[in-house]
Amino acid sequence: MTNATFPQVRIVPIRMLKPETAERLLNMLAGTAGIRRMMIHGPGLPRLVPYGPARGSPNPHSDRKAIRVADAEIALRVQVGTVVLEVEDTSTIEEIRSLCDDFFVEFPYLLQEGRFMKSAPTLVDYAKYGPDADRSLVGLTDPRSGEKPVFIRPDQ
Amino acid sequence: MAYKPQYGPGTSIVAENRRKQMNPNQKLEKVRSVTDEDIVLILGHRAPGSAYPTAHPPLAEQQEPDCPMRKLVKPTDGAKAGDRVRYIQFADSMFNAPCQPYQRTYTEMYRFRGIDPGTLSGRQIVECRERDLEKYAKDLVETELLDPARTGIRGATVHGHSLRLAEDGMMFDMLQRNVLGEDGVVKYVKNQIGEPLDRAVSIGKPLDEKWLKAHTTIFHSLVGTAYRDDTEYIEYVQRIHSLRTKYGFMPKEE
Repeated sequence: MTNATFPQVRIVPIRMLKPETAERLLNMLAGTAGIRRMMIHGPGLPRLVPYGPARGSPNPHSDRKAIRVADAEIALRVQVGTVVLEVEDTSTIEEIRSLCDDFFVEFPYLLQEGRFMKSAPTLVDYAKYGPDADRSLVGLTDPRSGEKPVFIRPDQ
Repeated sequence: MAYKPQYGPGTSIVAENRRKQMNPNQKLEKVRSVTDEDIVLILGHRAPGSAYPTAHPPLAEQQEPDCPMRKLVKPTDGAKAGDRVRYIQFADSMFNAPCQPYQRTYTEMYRFRGIDPGTLSGRQIVECRERDLEKYAKDLVETELLDPARTGIRGATVHGHSLRLAEDGMMFDMLQRNVLGEDGVVKYVKNQIGEPLDRAVSIGKPLDEKWLKAHTTIFHSLVGTAYRDDTEYIEYVQRIHSLRTKYGFMPKEE
């Protein structure tokens, strides 16, 4: 969320990804120069059963695990459904497209261009992060979860 | 001439399957075999082998009022014994699942007695007396109404009906009640409300794409039969829509 408007794309695989596949995809993208910000979207995999008679009991799920992207460890809390990317310029989009064409061989995917990330801080963001929050980080994580974005430095 | 129900309109395979499932004279194909104990484990209402808890004394032991309706309607086994009312709930993926909520309710109303179904967009619950439920649940699980990958037995946290499938073809389940093993067999590792089971319950291999497309009761323009291809169905639905809209104005027949 900066003043300059950078192009954004969304990778939508036709199947939802396993953590291993998501790890391979994200590592492939992490090696691409020109990606500014990246966001993983999908239905949540809660740690505890959220509703019903078993509410509050542990919810073991094989897809809720930590993956390693470049030098960073990311604890997945969702089943990876889409990956939203903000890139420096449109040439990077073509590079991402060609990489994804080679990556998704078992099932198809869509690469959509548009505005997918938050463009202005909401009231909740203001309440959580205050007036001096780093605007490039707002909107990357759920403000209610208390989690911070992960920094990936592919060169190190 | 005796009344002969038509069950539903349509010329497509989906319409044909819907009629087949609803028609109680048509025997549903049995595609897998699950033991009674496994059903009890998945349902999670009582421990296998334990007695059925009761909500009232058996009908034979209590004084029934003199009521013509009670003479007319024979109680089911569960009602006779005074069982509790318990439930089973299904979530069906819109990607060619063999059944779907409205269809389930129609099918059950035609085939089973003493039930109270609840129909929602992505899930369907059916309530009845416990021992009847176990009998009906066995039918619902063993026959062609269920596919281990595209149908989920989910008492709570049912989200998954309209989501994309996972890479292995399983419908998304936040609680991962059923898992596809390396041997290709789907096993329930939690009961329908998400409590871990002492032992995994196997409900067989997922059916292949061709079988699902031929047996589904859901229209889907991308992965199955498109609704707009069944002109008879469209005509029927439009007629109903038109009639019920006009009825709002209380029309008089000329």
